[in-house]
Amino acid sequence: MITITNLTRTYVMGTVHVHALKGISLKINKGEFISIMGASGSGKSTLLHQLGLLDMPTQGEILIDGKDVSKLSEKERSLFRLTQLGYVFQEYAIISELTALENVYLPMLMMGRKKQDCINAGIDILNKVGLGDRLDHFQHELSGGQQQRVAIARALVNKPKILFADEPCANLDSESSRQVLELFKKLNKELEQTIVMVTHENWHMEYTDRVIHLKDGLI
Amino acid sequence: MFNDLKVSFFLACKSIQRGNKGTSILTVFIISLIFVNLIFFPSIVDGVEETLNRQSIEHVCGNVVIEPKDDQRYIDNADSIEKKINKLPGVVGTSSRYMSGATFFYNNKSKSGSVHSIDPSDEEVVTKFHSGLIAGEYLGKENTNEILLGIDITGKEGEVTGDSDLGGVQVGDKIDVTFSNGVIRNYRVKGIFDISSININRYAFITEKEMESVLGVENQASEILVKLSQRGTEEEYKTNFIELGISEDIETWREKTAGTIGSLVDSFSLLTIISTVISLIMAVVVIFIIIYINTVNKKRQIGILKAIGIEQNVIINSYVIQVLFYCFSGIAVGLLLFGIIASYLSVNPIRFPLGYVEPVVEQVLILQNIISLVVFSLIAGFIPAWRTANENILKAIWG
Ligand SMILES: Nc1ncnc2c1ncn2[C@@H]1O[C@H](COP(=O)(O)OP(=O)(O)O)[C@@H](O)[C@H]1O
Ligand SMILES: [Mg+2]
Repeated sequence: MITITNLTRTYVMGTVHVHALKGISLKINKGEFISIMGASGSGKSTLLHQLGLLDMPTQGEILIDGKDVSKLSEKERSLFRLTQLGYVFQEYAIISELTALENVYLPMLMMGRKKQDCINAGIDILNKVGLGDRLDHFQHELSGGQQQRVAIARALVNKPKILFADEPCANLDSESSRQVLELFKKLNKELEQTIVMVTHENWHMEYTDRVIHLKDGLI
Repeated sequence: MFNDLKVSFFLACKSIQRGNKGTSILTVFIISLIFVNLIFFPSIVDGVEETLNRQSIEHVCGNVVIEPKDDQRYIDNADSIEKKINKLPGVVGTSSRYMSGATFFYNNKSKSGSVHSIDPSDEEVVTKFHSGLIAGEYLGKENTNEILLGIDITGKEGEVTGDSDLGGVQVGDKIDVTFSNGVIRNYRVKGIFDISSININRYAFITEKEMESVLGVENQASEILVKLSQRGTEEEYKTNFIELGISEDIETWREKTAGTIGSLVDSFSLLTIISTVISLIMAVVVIFIIIYINTVNKKRQIGILKAIGIEQNVIINSYVIQVLFYCFSGIAVGLLLFGIIASYLSVNPIRFPLGYVEPVVEQVLILQNIISLVVFSLIAGFIPAWRTANENILKAIWG
């Protein structure tokens, strides 16, 4: 499903070159639930940004479903993110002007689906993540864990091939974290959702099929 | 494409709906003031022009004026010319006048100017200066020893104006008039008129009968004014008059006054341009700042939108739509405000030295200003929206 070869990402800040990824090769199979672990600063987020098409690698190749995504134009990358990928950020990243439901169905609306279909699908997914009674709530009316579940619902609404989550539990208490991880596990088991999750908590490993350890930009 | 617009619209609506109401109202209000400013000044300039035009017709030259050919002093056979013209449908009346330079004397004071002669009943049909009488009465046909004077000649009693008038002549007073051909007559002042208009208050009127005796002429005229029932038809009638065989100089009021009113209006047009440019710059700055602050505040949200696959253009367009919303709301409120101001001023016109002026609103002017305001606002809103939406996703989200 995902094949990356010799991926590097070097940040250039003036004369300083930060080698965040130093040549990573990796294969992720369809239906896998993978966790990426490593110390802070080891390059986990950087790797996920490359996979999620939020950033451009310095070198190397990323094939998703056989497609070399580094060759896509800005517009095509945007469309690819919309239709093929779901991304959950470490910090809560929901749009404050939109209700929970609107946040969730926005990507589907962008796909050109009928508004009513979007609303129905949005309600459906919010029910699945346990927020069926929070449809019309705004960001400031939701707890951190609830916001994160809205973000997950939004990432799932277009039935992405791969779901990326960058430390989705970093700002959550252990109960909320457990809920999120259970949700991922369920999605992975029931819908064979491919999930790539960054974490630095050891106990998260037990939910995942495979662990990839990153250290100083290398596996 | 259509769907992209739909999403832009969705985002814009939610943003307006859930954004700060106070800011929105203030924005709309400022744009409405800018819009009023854009159309108010030009409409007053147009109003001034209209007032001058109306006064020219009503007091100075009627709709069409016939004058002697260049090499002649008087129009010959004035009566027959008037008869021919009066037969045409749509001609309300004609008034033939003589004109002579003259000096007025009263109580050791003198003032030079000119005297016009009129057939009182003909003149009444053509011009309106009789309605400006502030004292005394209008002339009768046989009043050979009486004169009507404008307020600029009589002056006001007690008002010290130096030598520029006769220092307060009253109705019933007698004044001496020396005509340019040397004839001296003594007249009783029958009436005094005051018309807030350019020049007219410097006129003096005597009867045609009296003037013919002063000048020693008959059945001639210095000018014949023609009043038409409809303004705007002057050119047609000018052609008709030529076809009737009138070989004198024929000018419409517009031709007759083109020089004076034209140059006055031209000198305003520079001011109009300056005021328009300033208004548009204000609009650009206001919209730019509002959208700039808006997008900078929402930089992170814009980054998130891009991250989840909302295309950059959709985001930019959502701001453009917001600008359009503010702009058209501002224009609507501005039109309302302007309507209120204009209807107030049509009841209570502004008093200018040259007469009462009310704003004249041309639809073309409004349309032009709507278009320029919208275009400039769009540019002013697009630039900050484009800049922010163009930023790298990760930078936008994490700064
Ligand atoms: N935008 C950036 N500019 C410069 N250096 C960066 C940037 N983002 C990350 N880095 C550096 O790259 C390395 C990897 O960062 P990151 O991928 O965020 O690590 P992790 O997510 O594992 O904590 C760090 O040394 C970090 O300082
Ligand atoms: Mg990280």
